[in-house]
Amino acid sequence: MTMATVDIVSDDTERLVLAVSGEIDMANAAAMQQELLSAISNQPTSVSVDLSGLTFLDSAGLRILFTLADRLHVLQIEFELVVPVDSVPRRAIELAGFPSLMTLRTPTEPPRAVTVTEE
Amino acid sequence: MAPPVTASPADERLRRIEAVTDVVLAHLDIEDLLTELLGRVQELLGVDTAAVLLLDASGQYLVATAACGLEEEVRQGMRLPLGTGFAGQIAAEKEPVIVDDLDGADVRNPVLQAKGVRSLLGVPLVAGGAVTGVLHVGTLTPRRFTEDDIGLLQLVADRIALVAQVRHAQAERNAASVLQRSLLPVRLPEIPGVDLAARYVPGGQGAVGGDWYDVFTLPSGRLGVVIGDVVGHGLRAAVVMGRLRSALRAYALDSTDPAEVLTRLDRKVQHFERDAMATVLFGQFDPSLQNLYVSLAGHPPPVLAVPGQPATVLDLPADPPLGARSRAPRRSTLVPVPSGALVCLYTDGLVERRNRSLDHGLAHLARVVTAGPADAVCTTIMAELVGADPSVDDVAVLVLRRDDRGDLVDLEFPAIPDSLKRIRVAVTRWLSTTGCTPQECGDLVLAVNEACSNVIEHAYGPAGGVVFLRLHRSPPDIVVTVRDTGTWRPPRGTHRGRGKLLMNSCSDEINIDHGPDGTSVMIRRRLSGQEGPS
Repeated sequence: MTMATVDIVSDDTERLVLAVSGEIDMANAAAMQQELLSAISNQPTSVSVDLSGLTFLDSAGLRILFTLADRLHVLQIEFELVVPVDSVPRRAIELAGFPSLMTLRTPTEPPRAVTVTEE
Repeated sequence: MAPPVTASPADERLRRIEAVTDVVLAHLDIEDLLTELLGRVQELLGVDTAAVLLLDASGQYLVATAACGLEEEVRQGMRLPLGTGFAGQIAAEKEPVIVDDLDGADVRNPVLQAKGVRSLLGVPLVAGGAVTGVLHVGTLTPRRFTEDDIGLLQLVADRIALVAQVRHAQAERNAASVLQRSLLPVRLPEIPGVDLAARYVPGGQGAVGGDWYDVFTLPSGRLGVVIGDVVGHGLRAAVVMGRLRSALRAYALDSTDPAEVLTRLDRKVQHFERDAMATVLFGQFDPSLQNLYVSLAGHPPPVLAVPGQPATVLDLPADPPLGARSRAPRRSTLVPVPSGALVCLYTDGLVERRNRSLDHGLAHLARVVTAGPADAVCTTIMAELVGADPSVDDVAVLVLRRDDRGDLVDLEFPAIPDSLKRIRVAVTRWLSTTGCTPQECGDLVLAVNEACSNVIEHAYGPAGGVVFLRLHRSPPDIVVTVRDTGTWRPPRGTHRGRGKLLMNSCSDEINIDHGPDGTSVMIRRRLSGQEGPS
């Protein structure tokens, strides 16, 4: 059974920080998408999703991130992913060309004020 | 109804009953046997009703078990508290009771009243000095039962008591045996990189005890190994064993520390199984199988055999058995298990004999354990330690060897999303034996995961199917083949097509072959720092 959790790290109305930990594959992707999307309201100006606690992410998981990026783009909410270098999720995210769509930083870097790259 | 056989003496009547009991009834189960015997009693005494009530497990209630002419009693599952009513009085006083006329007597049994029973004679069933039930007969017309009647009925009652006791003991033993067998793994799990074998033999005269062993993979990718021994024998010990086995598995899901799992299990035993005591060894291998963390609850330590070295009985700290009401913190110890090494777990029945010391048994065990194939090692252990000197106690042995020679491993999983996690754990474990780097391992697991996701999503209809994996080490390459026996359909939905991209990026070669019997996806990855075949 593949398990993952979504936690709200901080929510100061301007900036929402979420942390996703566990693993994401086809078995829990639909549930995780629902959980992640419903954790975000239309109020914040930026959303940061910290994947430091995520140990596995496959194409089903990438689909969630792409969907999330799409929705946040429409809502004009900045989107940032925090992913450790050399992690399996980082590899999948980079291979999928995700960094061109949004800000990707490692947990040690300080947050930067950046806008979603226009395609 | 035949008239009473007044002419023949009681001895003659008894002989007739004995003949029937011994020959015809020998193989009937207890209910059929009682019904048959009651029919004979009915005929011999010329009565209209006959019934047997047996004391239930609580010892507080008589339960209608068999009846002739009073079948309603049994069908309604009638229960009488000890000491009340006609049958209850017989059981409480351990004396025959006669009711000449039911009118006005203290008989509250509605079935007797509805039947119109007028006169009753009842005697206690006594086995080993204790009352185990009541046998009573009745007539629909008033009748004065004689001393002769009482004597005959008591003889039949004694016979029934004896048979019931023997059958009960037999049934309990069979139940214990079936339960015990059902709780041991029917088949040990197939785990890449692990060679497993186990033995269980009941103690003297086939008596099962509370020994058990268990092997299971955990969602964390760890491997749990258990061997345990519930103090006591028979059904009671087997039932407690079953509960401990389930609870241990449940606690193992939530902790990576064996000492913590046994602490929780002990708390469960102390609260819910107050009379139980058990020794348990619980170990968890990390996913690479290189490290075994062990906690001992009063259980003898494992034997470790490393290739090229004599086997040793590990010197591990032991904590008290479960149920010993100790509050001392439990400990886990790390045991490094090198490649090719073998770990032997056992219960004390293997090494304890009345005529020799425990140390002698342990030394003997260490002498015969080698880092060989698990099943052969089990066979040797049983031949050497049990063969000529059977144990009165039951014996369980579980042997696990790290077998890294698996250059070719075949695995099968149901093609369902929940299999993905198990597949990743199995592939990661196998890859850990191939010397690949963490990055190579991560890439291969991702590629295999994508190939398997495709099978799960596209290959089969709602009836489902199987995803077949072949893991092959062919230096300097790793080749993984993912196969199905279905028919692929085009992917559906948005944000698709990244699986193929990931597979390509994470490997050196991907080859997809759609054949008439299914699809086969070959994933090849060259490992860095490995020499090819010369």
